[in-house]
Order: sequence, then C-alpha cells, then structure tokens
Amino acid sequence: MKKFNIAIIGLGGQGIITMGTVMKNAALSSDLRDVSGSERRGGAQREGYVETFVKYIFYENRSEMSDPRKNMHSPMIESGGANALISLEPLETLRGIRYLNGNSTVIFNMTPYIPVSVRMNKTEYPEISFIVSELEKITENIFYYDFDKISIENFNSLTQKNIVALGALFAKTDIPIHTSAIEKILASGKGAKDNLRAFDIGLKL
Amino acid sequence: MGKGNLFVNGIDADKAIVLGNEAIARGALEAGIGYASMYPGTPASEIIAVLDKNKKYIENLYTEFSLNEHISLHGAIGASWSGIRSLCAMKNVGLNVASEPAQFLAYTGVKAGLVLAIGSDPGAPSSSNEQDDRWYSLHTFMPVLEPSNIQEAKDFTKNSFDVSEEFSFGIVVMAPSRLCHNAGTLYFGDLRDRSNIKGNFKKDPENYLNLFGMAVKNHAKFLERSELLKKFLAKSDFNKIINGGRSKTGFISSGVIYAHLMEALDVLGVDDHKILKLGFTFPLSEELFKEFFKGLDEILIIEEAEGFLEFQIKKIAYELGFKGRIYGKEFFKRTGELTLDGVMTGISRFLEKPLPAYFDFAVRKDKELSGKLPQRSGTFCIGCPHRATFYSILKAVGFSNANGKERDVVIAGDIGCYTLGLLPPYSAMDFLTCMNAGLGIGQAISIFDKKKKVIALVGDSTFYHSGIPVLINAVRNNADVLYIILDNSWTAMTGHQGTPSTQKDAFGIATGNAINLKDLVKTLGVSYIKSIDPNSVRRFASQIKSALKEPGVKVLIAKRECVLQEIRRNKILKKNENGISGTGESLYEIQKNRCVKCNECFTELACPAIILKKGVQGEENYYYIDPASCVKCGVCYEVCPNSAIRKVEFDLRPEFKLIEKKIDEELSEVPANI
Repeated sequence: MKKFNIAIIGLGGQGIITMGTVMKNAALSSDLRDVSGSERRGGAQREGYVETFVKYIFYENRSEMSDPRKNMHSPMIESGGANALISLEPLETLRGIRYLNGNSTVIFNMTPYIPVSVRMNKTEYPEISFIVSELEKITENIFYYDFDKISIENFNSLTQKNIVALGALFAKTDIPIHTSAIEKILASGKGAKDNLRAFDIGLKL
Repeated sequence: MGKGNLFVNGIDADKAIVLGNEAIARGALEAGIGYASMYPGTPASEIIAVLDKNKKYIENLYTEFSLNEHISLHGAIGASWSGIRSLCAMKNVGLNVASEPAQFLAYTGVKAGLVLAIGSDPGAPSSSNEQDDRWYSLHTFMPVLEPSNIQEAKDFTKNSFDVSEEFSFGIVVMAPSRLCHNAGTLYFGDLRDRSNIKGNFKKDPENYLNLFGMAVKNHAKFLERSELLKKFLAKSDFNKIINGGRSKTGFISSGVIYAHLMEALDVLGVDDHKILKLGFTFPLSEELFKEFFKGLDEILIIEEAEGFLEFQIKKIAYELGFKGRIYGKEFFKRTGELTLDGVMTGISRFLEKPLPAYFDFAVRKDKELSGKLPQRSGTFCIGCPHRATFYSILKAVGFSNANGKERDVVIAGDIGCYTLGLLPPYSAMDFLTCMNAGLGIGQAISIFDKKKKVIALVGDSTFYHSGIPVLINAVRNNADVLYIILDNSWTAMTGHQGTPSTQKDAFGIATGNAINLKDLVKTLGVSYIKSIDPNSVRRFASQIKSALKEPGVKVLIAKRECVLQEIRRNKILKKNENGISGTGESLYEIQKNRCVKCNECFTELACPAIILKKGVQGEENYYYIDPASCVKCGVCYEVCPNSAIRKVEFDLRPEFKLIEKKIDEELSEVPANI
C-alpha cells in the first residue's frame, strides 16, 4: 500500500475546503479505490484556522483491499506525514510545520491576514524571511507566491487563488494524480472557464 | 419528482465523494426514512441539511428544523409510532435537551425504526463542552453504534433501522466531528421503494401509556430486550474480531479512534495483535468478550474521553473471571481530541516501540515554534451586525481592555455566532455555558449583586429554542436585567437554517409566518422594549446606557439580518445584472490626511476589512479599507470620530471594480457535486 498525503491549511473563506473537494473528486475519476481526509471547519466563515487533509491511498493488490489491517485509514495525517503542504496564509504555514518531513514539498501564499492579537499590538507578525528560514530547517522544497495578487491581476477577484495554488501543487510535486483528472472536475463545476485558466496559471509557476 | 442528483438517485455501485454527515443521511435514505429532523448544531448540521435541500426530489420525505432537540426527538418518536422510519440528528449537547424523550424511548419502544444521529465534538472546536454522550446509554439503554469511516457511516446507519425495529430501541449513531466532516469515497447501496411510505398510527396502550405499574412493566420489558440484543450482538457483523499472531496482547477500539489505531499500527509496523473492533459500544455482549479474551493476558483499550468502554469492559472481565491486565486511560488522554498522533504515541509507549524519527522531529519542531506564533482566533464576518452590537455595548459600558479597570457591568453570554464576542478585542462576556444560561444565571446575579448591572445576550434562534420561559421567569420574579436579543433572522452559525424571525429566504421568497418578536416579548409581560438597527452604533450605545438606568427587565432587540444572507440574496436577485454584491450603494475609504490613527475602527470596532498598509518611500504606515473585502455596511463611517472615513463611488478607482467577492467560497458548506 502506498499513500500520498496532502495537508491544506489557511483561513475560513479562502477556499480551503473547495480545494480538498476538487482533489478528492479528481481521485474518484481516476481509478483510486480510497481517498479520505477530514476537515476542520470550526472557524470557517470567521477568519479562523481551517485545515483539510487529502489522503490518496493506493493498494498493491486485491487482497490488501480486503485486509482489515490495510483498508482502514485515519482521516488525519500524523506529524511529519505529509508529502505536500499547501498554505494560503503565510503565518499559518508555520502552524502546519508539524506535518512536514525532509522530503515534503511546501507551497505557500505570501499575502498575510493579520490576526487580532497583532492588530492589538500584543504580538508581531513574522517576516516572510523568518517563515522561509524555519521551513528550510526541515525541507528544501519550498515554493511561495503571492496567490492573492496573481488572482486579482488575472481575474480581478480573489476567488481563483486557491485553484492557482492547486496548479502550483501539480507543478512542484510528484502528486500521483493526472492534471487531466483535476481539469475534468473543474470543467464540470461552477466558474469552469476561470478555474481552468487559474489551474493552468498555477501549473506554469 | 424532479431529477435530483447522485445523493438522491445513486444506486448500487455508484460512488461519490461525500461528507460523513451526508453518508449518514444517505444511509437513512437507503433505509427508507420518511421523517428527518434536527435543531441545527455543528458538527451534525449537514445530516438533515442535505436531506432538506434535496427533499423536492425525494418522494414522501418530511423534513423539519425543529425549534429545539426536545421537540425534534419527540417528532421522530411520533413518526415512528405512525409506522414511518425516522431520523433525528443533533450535536452532542443537544442530547441534554432531548434527554427527557430519550429517557422514555426504551420504555415505550419504537414501531418503525428510529435512529438518533449525534455529532460529538472532542476538543470542542465548535461546542461549549466535550461531553461524551455514550454515557447516557447507561440509563437510557439506547444502543450506541459507532462507524469508523464514511462507508460505515452509511452502511451502519442503514442497517441500524432493522436493529431498531427488531429490538424496539431507538439507535444512537455517534459520529465525532472528525467523521462528520471527513470527506471521502462512498459506495452507494440500493434505495428502498418510497412509494408506499404512509403513516398509520396504531394504538398500543400497553407500550405507550407509561405510568405507575405500567411504567414498571415497561422497565422490565426493555431490560429483557436489551439482553436479547446482546445475544444478537455476539454474532452480528457490526462487531469484528481480527485474529493476531503470537502476541498475547489485544487491542479494543471503536469509531474513528479505531481508524487512527489501524493507521498507527501500520505506520509502526505492528501486525501481531488480536483486535476487537466494536461497532456497537453499548450494550456489550459478554459472549463476544469471552471469545476475544481467549489466549490473551493483556488488553489495551483505545478510546477518547473518560473511558466509557474501559468502564464497561472491566466489569465484564471481572464477571468472566479474566485473569489478565486491562489498560486504557493510562495511555490515552481524557480531555481534548484523541488524534492520530495521540494514538501513535500511546501505542508506542504501551508496546515500548519507538516512534519513527520523522514523527519525533516534526513534533519537536512544532513544540519549539508554536509558543512563538501569534494566536489566531475567529472573529465576526465583515459586515456582521453582531460586531456593531458588541461595539455599541462596549461604548456604553466601557471596553474591558481600557486601562485595566474592571467593568461594573456583568455581561452574560449565550450560544450562537455572537458567542465570538467573548474573544479579543471585545472580550465582552463574563460567562458562557449552555443555551439560555445567560439570562437564567444573570437573573440571580442581579438579585444578589446590586452593585453591578447585568446585561444578558441571546440570539433569535437561541431565544426561540428555550429562552421564552427564561424571560417570563425573569419578568415574573422582578429581575433587574437588560436583555439584548440579537435578532439576525437566521440560525447563522450552522449554515443558515430559518428561525421564526426569518421573513424572507435567500431567494427573496416570504416565509409567510414570521413571528413579530417585539409583539411576542410584549405579550410575555415586558413593558420596556425597543427594537433598533445595531449598525446605528451611536444611537444603540445611548439606548443601552439609558436602558441600564431603568429598573426591571428591559429588552432591546438588535434587529438586522445576517449580512451573509443579505448579500447572498442580493446576488441571487441581481444575478443577471452587473450589480454589486454588497449591502449599501457606496464604498468607503479612509483619507490618509485626516486619519490620526486613533484606532477606533482598527482595534475597537476591529473590522477585518480595515488593514494596516505599509507606507511607500518613507511614508508612514496607514489604515486602509480593502475594497476587495468591504461589504459597505458603513459602520466604520459612523464610528470614526474624526470624519476621516468618507463615502466614494465604487467605480472611481480600478480596484473598486472588484464586485465578485469571496462570498461564494464562504457559503459553499456542502461539496458542490452532491
């Protein structure tokens, strides 16, 4: 059995859950038997921390599929267990650091959303350089872009930033799902034209 | 019936990505339910929401968002007694409210199958406590079924209707938020024919009249039925023993924790142990344990919270004369969510087998960093009328963060979106427990501490849930409380279910039977009552000040619709025009030359659309209203003491053309394809 674990984190309203849903549906149309992963939605709609996991599970053979020791999977990812981490908010990337190992790939968004504690001058928001240096202590595979800016420049809206980031994930990792599976899902959903273009922009980053 | 979608029409061999909650709903649908109800509550809300949303495509399905859980479960019982399979859902604390019908259900029994789906919330990310509802069953005798993944959520729910009918119990299907909000693959089963779902209440006085000696007789009957159920469970597929190798140590687990366990064993490379997977965690069958204990001399129970299984299993082991040791809570914590990490760590400690190096490294790194990072807490949505309410209250009674002085006003909190007012920067609640505790506790404080004024808060949905008797009680007993009802017309936090205050749905269609809250409150005996738009913050603050000077029970209704619903409706109604998806007509901007950074809008109102921008070329940093986020509610315009905020036409600058907001993402709660 092989697994490919992806943690997607950010804030409520950034399209984190949509990203997870697109990725899971892509697996469905591509022969994978199992895809799972839970969401933390407590803070959705209110700028709270949101995370969703996508776990692609590949069985070696039929007997593994029916083996109770192999065919049951936690909806969570263990510490250090992520093949890839996408974060749509720079500070939150550091909260996701617990999922990383030496081989993980990190993709994060550079536009900060300032928490109340910083607003009230109680703490300071970390610099991007600090975030990168902390990540570099764990893995070399770090990519960061201003997805908010890319989305606004290309679509005059923030709505597409998550799909651009999804494209970047496919460009920068060896994710075992074909881009055409994602495109198929995007093509059948709302705002298909923009989303397909956003995915393509991400792929070319 | 219309065409519908896969959730409605999917048949055997179809598959889809669904939420755990939707899988439970689909299981109930496959079992042929005709009744589904709930009082909305995270994490369980989507169970009924998905049925309600699709009912136009489903023949003979009645759905209801009841006013509270007590009513909702009684409704399910009435449907069952009429021969209709029924599903009632609620969040963990909902069972406290529904505990009364739950206590009687075993006595009277069911006719058609009845399932009570409960969403528990370990770690309390969306609840005010962590209670483990399984313990209720020690006295309600309701059997408890715990699915481990999405497929089981559907299959178990479906099959539990048969168990319910055979043994005449309502069955509890328990799912923690990790399962409720797990999205993954579900393979559908076939649907029952729905054309002949018709109610027929057959009188059954022997079971349904539960009084005096009849109640005692019913008590004996359900104890007997519970024994029969145990016999059935010794052999049923709901529970499963996985045989191990040579190890004399066995593991017992259930639900999502079992899924964590199996993954933990896989990661740790452990496959030698006998495992008991419990589907039903109440009642437990002695027969099953006799079988499981064979050849073992040590057992580890892996479960969340205080140890419901351990409590029962130790008793069974004693009665069976099991000579080995049983461990549980020595290795797994009692509070907070038991995560995959928690299970891995506990197993590693128990087996004295080291954790993988990458795991240790990541845990250490996280510990090192987490203390240094700014905390992030949720806040009100941009344009939320509750933000204006809290600002007004604090304007009237003083900000808690102002020069460290304690307020001489007690603010009683309650359950809903407005609960977020207890977080900084508002910190505007002095206590918070359960639904409608605010006024009840506040009333007594007002009697015993005459030096302090009491303000009690409540939302419209919470008020209708169980607040009416609390208010009458306060009036009848001459409490001295200012009661502010934050009426936003929706049960907003759980995904916008209607309340009796809802006048128009998201499509602009009138509900027709909305209650006039002001008239209702007047009828309850309140003479001081005013309704006000909370966004008029100056007027609202002065009304709060003057109300606090009056004796007795005063009611202020802060009436303004949830901004998300207002925007959603505007968007739907203007779909074919290039309308603006906001509330007002103008945008607002902060004039750099007039702003003195007094922080009124930035830290006291604390609207997230107002941000601090870095100045360029030696220029000072400045406050800026982000046009991509602002919904034009205009509250900042009103709070600014220096008239530094002005209205502008939206098309003056290119960035103001951002009319498509992130609202679409914010509102898409349920995966789009189901």
